[in-house]
Amino acid sequence: MTPIEIGLISVIAIVFLIYAGVYIPIALGTVSFISIWLMRDNFTLALNLLKVAVGDSAMEYSFATIPLFTFMGLIVSKAGLGRDIYEVMTMRFRKVKGGIGMATVGANAVFAAVTGSSIASASVFTKVSVPQMIAQDYNPRFAVGVVAGSSVLGMIIPPSAMLIIYSFVAEQSVGDMFLAGVIPGMMLAVAYVGAIWFMGRFTPGFVGGRPAEDYELMSGREIASKTLPTLGLITVVLGGIYTGWLTAVEAGATGALVALVIALVRRSMSLKGFWEALLETGHITAAILFLITAASIYSRMLGLAGLPNQLQDMLAGNQSSFFMIMVIYVVMMLFLGTLLDTASIILIVVPLFLPLVEAMDLSLIWFGIITVVGAEIGLLTPPLGISCFVIKSTLNDDRISLKDVFMGALPFAFVMLIVLIILIRFPSLSLAILN
Amino acid sequence: MFKTAVAGLSKVANAAAIAANALGTLVVLALVLVVNYDVVARGVFSAPFRGAYEVVQFSVVLIVFLQLPDVVRVDRLTRSDGFLNVLHHRRPGLTASIRRIINAISAIFMALIAYIVWPEFIEMYHTKDYFGVPGIFTAPWWPIKLVIAASATLCSLMFALKVISAQDRPHLIRAPEHDEPKT
Amino acid sequence: TETISAVVIDGYPARALWVKEFTNFFIPEVDKRLAETGNYAMDWQESYGGSIVKPKGVLEGVQLGLGDIGIVTTIFHSSKLPSQGIAAVTPFVSTDARAVAKAVDEIAREFPAMQNEFAKQNQVYLATGVVLDTYQVFSTKEVASVSDLEGFKIAGAGMNLRYLEGIDGAAGVRGGLTDFYNMLQTGLVDAAQLWPEAAATFKISEVAPYMLRADLGAVNSKTITVNADYWKKLPDEVKETLQAVALDYRDHLAGMAMDRAAAAADAYVAAGGTIVEVSAEDRAAWANAMPNIAQEWAKTLNDAGEQGTEMLAAYLGKLEAAGHTGVRDWTQE
Ligand code: NA
Ligand code: NA
Repeated sequence: MTPIEIGLISVIAIVFLIYAGVYIPIALGTVSFISIWLMRDNFTLALNLLKVAVGDSAMEYSFATIPLFTFMGLIVSKAGLGRDIYEVMTMRFRKVKGGIGMATVGANAVFAAVTGSSIASASVFTKVSVPQMIAQDYNPRFAVGVVAGSSVLGMIIPPSAMLIIYSFVAEQSVGDMFLAGVIPGMMLAVAYVGAIWFMGRFTPGFVGGRPAEDYELMSGREIASKTLPTLGLITVVLGGIYTGWLTAVEAGATGALVALVIALVRRSMSLKGFWEALLETGHITAAILFLITAASIYSRMLGLAGLPNQLQDMLAGNQSSFFMIMVIYVVMMLFLGTLLDTASIILIVVPLFLPLVEAMDLSLIWFGIITVVGAEIGLLTPPLGISCFVIKSTLNDDRISLKDVFMGALPFAFVMLIVLIILIRFPSLSLAILN
Repeated sequence: MFKTAVAGLSKVANAAAIAANALGTLVVLALVLVVNYDVVARGVFSAPFRGAYEVVQFSVVLIVFLQLPDVVRVDRLTRSDGFLNVLHHRRPGLTASIRRIINAISAIFMALIAYIVWPEFIEMYHTKDYFGVPGIFTAPWWPIKLVIAASATLCSLMFALKVISAQDRPHLIRAPEHDEPKT
Repeated sequence: TETISAVVIDGYPARALWVKEFTNFFIPEVDKRLAETGNYAMDWQESYGGSIVKPKGVLEGVQLGLGDIGIVTTIFHSSKLPSQGIAAVTPFVSTDARAVAKAVDEIAREFPAMQNEFAKQNQVYLATGVVLDTYQVFSTKEVASVSDLEGFKIAGAGMNLRYLEGIDGAAGVRGGLTDFYNMLQTGLVDAAQLWPEAAATFKISEVAPYMLRADLGAVNSKTITVNADYWKKLPDEVKETLQAVALDYRDHLAGMAMDRAAAAADAYVAAGGTIVEVSAEDRAAWANAMPNIAQEWAKTLNDAGEQGTEMLAAYLGKLEAAGHTGVRDWTQE
């Protein structure tokens, strides 16, 4: 077998093992290890590559953003910032058809700017938004669907663990990736609101709900106390990065400290809650970075096999069109998205396609945005859709089945796909804020 | 006899993982403080902390490898076990065997990492290799290698114990940070 | 004809100057010379830009055989390759990349230290690459002399942060090349040390329109090395060809760096930048106010059993013979 054949077979083997339930980093690492061993007929060389990858993959300055933004996100969730934003948003939207749905999307978009994970968004809004919607006779499927759909905003609007992971694989600046995510994230939020309006108009049965009778108005003071902490955090983090005053790592650390101060001032955190947030930060960081380490073994294996070079030559010889490559790319992400989590999808497909994108002189920042959006569609699709799982397990209500959550999320997954196509077609949407 | 030995070993391994986890947790806190110290010292006092960059890199590695054994302990290593969960309802015996095999492969993989990193730790402990720039800030490599090697060893042990006890259970999702507080 | 395969690795992308010249100059030149006798032909596999190793991982990659030939960026490895710091610890001597490349290369051949260091990493030294002609100071504020830098926050990377110890109240702020534009623009720093070609690439003139021509000097940062096990198996003819081409690559690359530097300085002025000349007295004053980092360097090597003091003297002697005399004699305490 030629190295190229071994390389290709190993990609298939990895996907198979992952679907069979092997821990993803172990599947990536083990198959890559064996492939190198076979390819070079050299066991020591395979061991050596493992050593280099384990040694230097985690040793990356920008990776500090992962624990820092994770910590910040956990603190703001515990401090109740998501609930506050939601309350302010629903105040005026209650009388509109699907209004609480729109408010949930809006609150998620704002909350997304202070948390880096979709899990946090999904769990917070399941608790605050779903019960209220059901109380107002909304269709339960619609209620959970809105929360699932808008939870993905957490990982598109910066800060975002996925944008950080991509920036590592493609060697782009984390700060640039963050800034590039702003417009696509807002676009997706607007598209969701539009879709809710559309569904309320044309499929009112799917939405359900009745206008609220009570219409309590908050005082300006109350609104301020509920929104200012979040807006302050957004200003510190995104403002710090945008002006260049802070690197992404520093913005994460400053944001974490500010979030802590907010939680302390509002007396919304116990010492135990604080320690738990730290513990969880560690768990999440270790899981993601070990996955990244294993994925770097995999991408180096592809490099040793010469696969990137080969793909580039193929492209040069074949004149494959931009259109075809993008179709294959999106289909591949949707396919992997059925069963894999977002980070794994990014780490598996990006090394395969990066050489092609580079050869075509396309922007790697734009490519990152479409990768993250494309891979996140998988959060909403069965059989494994993390956002839907989080909602189901947070909900703890037997009347709403996992199937209901997936069915409710489906229209939102479709909206994501349309937004993805627009983002592919118009790269300037992702790049505008950088220039 | 064998059972008590396994139970004892498992207790020790779990205790070690939890201790490392607590230590790694403190590193997270230290990271927040160090970076903020640097930002303030640089911005307000024009006196940046010269080792900030190295300390940040160092702490990321520490966080990852100090926490990894505990991640293995609570079975939160990234995986997609939808297929296993479905299979579990029809063929629980077969599913348990597959889980054993998966844990065995994982134990071997982590053992390989431990096997190649230990000698590197020994060597760097003697050569006193450092990273950073002399006169600006330097830190020795060996503590990093020690943590990686020890962590991989412990992870391998935890996986091996999972093979014997076959105790990991199917879950929809493992995200205890979002559990309701138990009262 | 016997075919010999060679995996070339660097963590930097193919568009980087030294990588591009490896592809466009080194490889065709080796192929051409081997074709003259027709005994051997090379089968090159070039893997750049992190596909096998990251920039910091090239040294280990060649050591472990992940690549047969590698372009090692030596400034990352002050610990394993201390002697490679030779040009960085002797600022204010020469801004001629060609002269520095040649002098460092000769030191590598005449003294065992550099080859020993690479031998410990299981590799064979082939050639030195110099890709930057000189660090200059680019300032956001109008400056007329070195003393105007007092109290400034000045960005740098690696050893050049220590040059700032010669300026009263100046604080060195660490940053990567790609961060400098932002750091200058936002006022995070008042000035940055970088070389004219990088300044042009990153449009530094937009944010730092004053270039203080401090002429801190050219620095060696790249070394071509070959995995020692791979080298042992190579036929003598191939070894000799690689060594001969390595010398030409050294001069070719340094020449390219100089051409680009000249063009970059012109581009800086054309883009609205002002070049501020620095008097010889000012340069001498700066150099003399610095700690003698060359002596620190020599002592580190002496302590490791190498001829640090002799290497320093020989290196400066070679540059002097080529017409480059420093404003401070680094061999004196
Ligand atoms: Na976010
Ligand atoms: Na899915």
